[in-house]
Amino acid sequence: MKPRWLLPALPLLFLAGVLVAPVLRLLAEGLAPTVDAGPLRWFEVWQDDFLRWRVLWSLAQAVITCALALLLGLPIAWVLARLDFPGRTLALRLLMLPFVVPTLVAALGVLALWGPRGVLGAPLAAAGIELMDTPWLLLYGNLFFNLCVVVRAGVDALEQVSAPRVAAARTLGATPWRAFWRVEWPAIAPWLASSLCLVFLYCFAGFGLALVLGGQRYATVEVEIYTLVAHELQLGQASVLAVWMLLLTGGVALGHAALEKRLAAPGRVAPVPRQRPQGRAQWALLWVAVFVLFAVCAAPLLAIVARALQALLLGQGAAVLTDADTLDALWNTLRFSGLALALATALGLLHALGVRALDAAAPARPGGAAPAAVALLWRAAAFLPFVVSSVTVAFGLLLLYPQASASLALLIAAYVLLAYPFVAKSITAALDSLPASYAQAAATLGARPLRVFWRVTLPLVAPALRRGMAFAAATALGEFAVTLFLGRPEWTTLTTLIYQHLGRPGQANLDAALVLAGLLMLLALGAFALIEGRPRENARHA
Amino acid sequence: MQRRHLISVLLALAGSTLAPAALAATPVTLRVLTHSSFDLPQEQLAQFEKDAGVKLRLIKAGDAGEMTNKLILTQARPIADVVYGIDNTLLPRALAAGVIEPYTGPAAQRPAAATLDAGVVPVDYGFVTLNIDKAWFARSGLALPTSLDDLTQPAYRKLLVVQNPATSSPGMAFLLATIGGLGEEQAFAWWAAMRANGVKVAKGWTEAYYTEFTRNGGTRPIVVSYASSPAAEVFYSKDKLTESPTANLFLRGGVFRQVEGVALVKGGQPAAREAAGKFIEFLRSPGVQQSLQTTMWMYPAEAGAPRAEVMQRHAVEPQAHDSPSSAEVAAKSKAWVQRWTRVVLK
Repeated sequence: MKPRWLLPALPLLFLAGVLVAPVLRLLAEGLAPTVDAGPLRWFEVWQDDFLRWRVLWSLAQAVITCALALLLGLPIAWVLARLDFPGRTLALRLLMLPFVVPTLVAALGVLALWGPRGVLGAPLAAAGIELMDTPWLLLYGNLFFNLCVVVRAGVDALEQVSAPRVAAARTLGATPWRAFWRVEWPAIAPWLASSLCLVFLYCFAGFGLALVLGGQRYATVEVEIYTLVAHELQLGQASVLAVWMLLLTGGVALGHAALEKRLAAPGRVAPVPRQRPQGRAQWALLWVAVFVLFAVCAAPLLAIVARALQALLLGQGAAVLTDADTLDALWNTLRFSGLALALATALGLLHALGVRALDAAAPARPGGAAPAAVALLWRAAAFLPFVVSSVTVAFGLLLLYPQASASLALLIAAYVLLAYPFVAKSITAALDSLPASYAQAAATLGARPLRVFWRVTLPLVAPALRRGMAFAAATALGEFAVTLFLGRPEWTTLTTLIYQHLGRPGQANLDAALVLAGLLMLLALGAFALIEGRPRENARHA
Repeated sequence: MQRRHLISVLLALAGSTLAPAALAATPVTLRVLTHSSFDLPQEQLAQFEKDAGVKLRLIKAGDAGEMTNKLILTQARPIADVVYGIDNTLLPRALAAGVIEPYTGPAAQRPAAATLDAGVVPVDYGFVTLNIDKAWFARSGLALPTSLDDLTQPAYRKLLVVQNPATSSPGMAFLLATIGGLGEEQAFAWWAAMRANGVKVAKGWTEAYYTEFTRNGGTRPIVVSYASSPAAEVFYSKDKLTESPTANLFLRGGVFRQVEGVALVKGGQPAAREAAGKFIEFLRSPGVQQSLQTTMWMYPAEAGAPRAEVMQRHAVEPQAHDSPSSAEVAAKSKAWVQRWTRVVLK
């Protein structure tokens, strides 16, 4: 029993060292009574109209985005999981590209479509409909980034649904619709809840696109914290806000963990086989899914690609490809992402196995309440990196480890911190649906725990692991953490290089940024292909 | 097979990443804190390392405001030995916090085209001002505004984009210019009128210039930028334009002079002090004063330093600027930003 308790030790140490301790350090600095700052205004958030509007708006846009993502994402997931059609795998991979694209480039793509001069925005503007500075553009941007999270989770979940059970329901006379509600929906709900929780946290604590697309009026609370810390150094008020945010988002994370635990229904079975679309309804659904995917995810990306190609062929974008800086940045991107991915995978696996071990140690008996709570907290802890405001982490790290500033260890730690929850969440969900009997059977037959893990558990959760790794890789590739966590010029990555070019006027800089964005997307596609392998193989495993 | 391949790739990456860290045992390492716009030719920096016998470790800490705050926050155990990029808007804060140690070497004694408080060596200066999209104004036939007040007129409705002074240093500089040029009360009255006339607020320079400015597909033909931006537009253009597509619009109350300096960090490693002095002198050397003009797009602070041709032709310096006194900036800038937020955003 003992070694099981050691599983969470490594991720726990990591979280404590690079997240909890720095944040506490900064809070201590901010909340310490000082002479000139005056008393802290704990309830200002709710008393000040402007701040309250920001909190409520942050909440509202996150909730609306979740609802839209579920509404649009579920049919798309069903189509991708159940129907077989050419380009299916490519669609699954392209879907993740928004994650990689730097915020500002994504904004350029969205504006190229919907902006006042955009392909679709210009006719609308001519008709008197202005999208700029309205919440619509922000919600669109949120969906662009987050739809993939829900769809990928939905596809994975649907592939876990038992084919015999669906078939049985149908044989017993259930309509396809009823079979979906009574058999498929209960099985996929935990996965969807997990992904929606991520989407909520991303949008609620979101930083980038909201600011560019929504305008200053629709900025989120996280932006307020960033301003207070990075530009005004009012740590006291920032700490107060950060604590409120933590209470709100932490509540969501805990609530979700409890839900996920309760919904978890182990059952390992033959997946429903994919088939060619049949009947008018399925064809219609397929086309609707393709259309939504195109409108929400592909169109802004295509706009970027079109602009990148234009810059490459007609503009001055070609020069940047042979630039020494670009090659350095490419190499940095590869090695930082690779290293971060390896570490994030290891930590994520340990975190998820820790959840399972803690769950197993908390049997459903009266005395098991305390261990059960620990298990639940640990489950929710995987969300910590999304729950805590990143600027407080960054400044806290500086205070706590000034000697390590601009050290490679800190940089990689920052990448890992942001990437590993994806692996942890994905595997936790997969383990939840894995019956304990498999591992028990192997153990009964004399396999040691490590061997059980390597030969039984790992192959079974492999698809989830690959999905988590793909998201982790996307995060690392597109991450802009370098500036938040103090960077060195020689560590410029593709993403930072893009921002450097966009920090100067001139057509050549814009062209270079667009070409680099195109390069980044290609790189990401390559990485996804490498990580996810050939999908057919996965299917045979499963 | 595939998995083994992946692992070996990851191991190779890990090795190559960790190896240099293990070998880092050079004589003196000088830690230089800079803002993220710091940019000098690699060869120049390498030459300095060779001549001075030091190893440079440049640390980019976000924009100038963020960098200054990081410096203040870590003053008990400083993260650098020398800091470049503190400007006249941020210097009062840094001095008040006591994070800077005066430098009195030759560079501090020589006359400079723009000065900073004693002990901080000016390296370069620039002007935050309005830029216009020439083609847009030619197309629309609208006359150029001749005063900030013109911009509050209906004819100029929704034409200007500025940066949020709470998150952007040019935004802050422009706010200071309006206060310096119009007086505090008048300035905020102007901002209120601008809000009514549809001024757009962007987070930072990049967002304003690349998503809002008409030249790059936005809707605003007037943007807060730098007096050197038209020169940069020529420099980074396709067939080396002879005329810039943008132009400066120097209005009273709309020009702020930003002076950037380099300074010793109090509490930096004693072993690096000499090297820090050499670095300060290096930034005022003819080579750097020449190259920074077309890498960082600032004017050289060294009196009499020759101008780059593109700057001479396309980035004419304004005759006057409207910068409030640094004492006033030190005392009030925080309150001004809060008031601005109230007037323009809330």
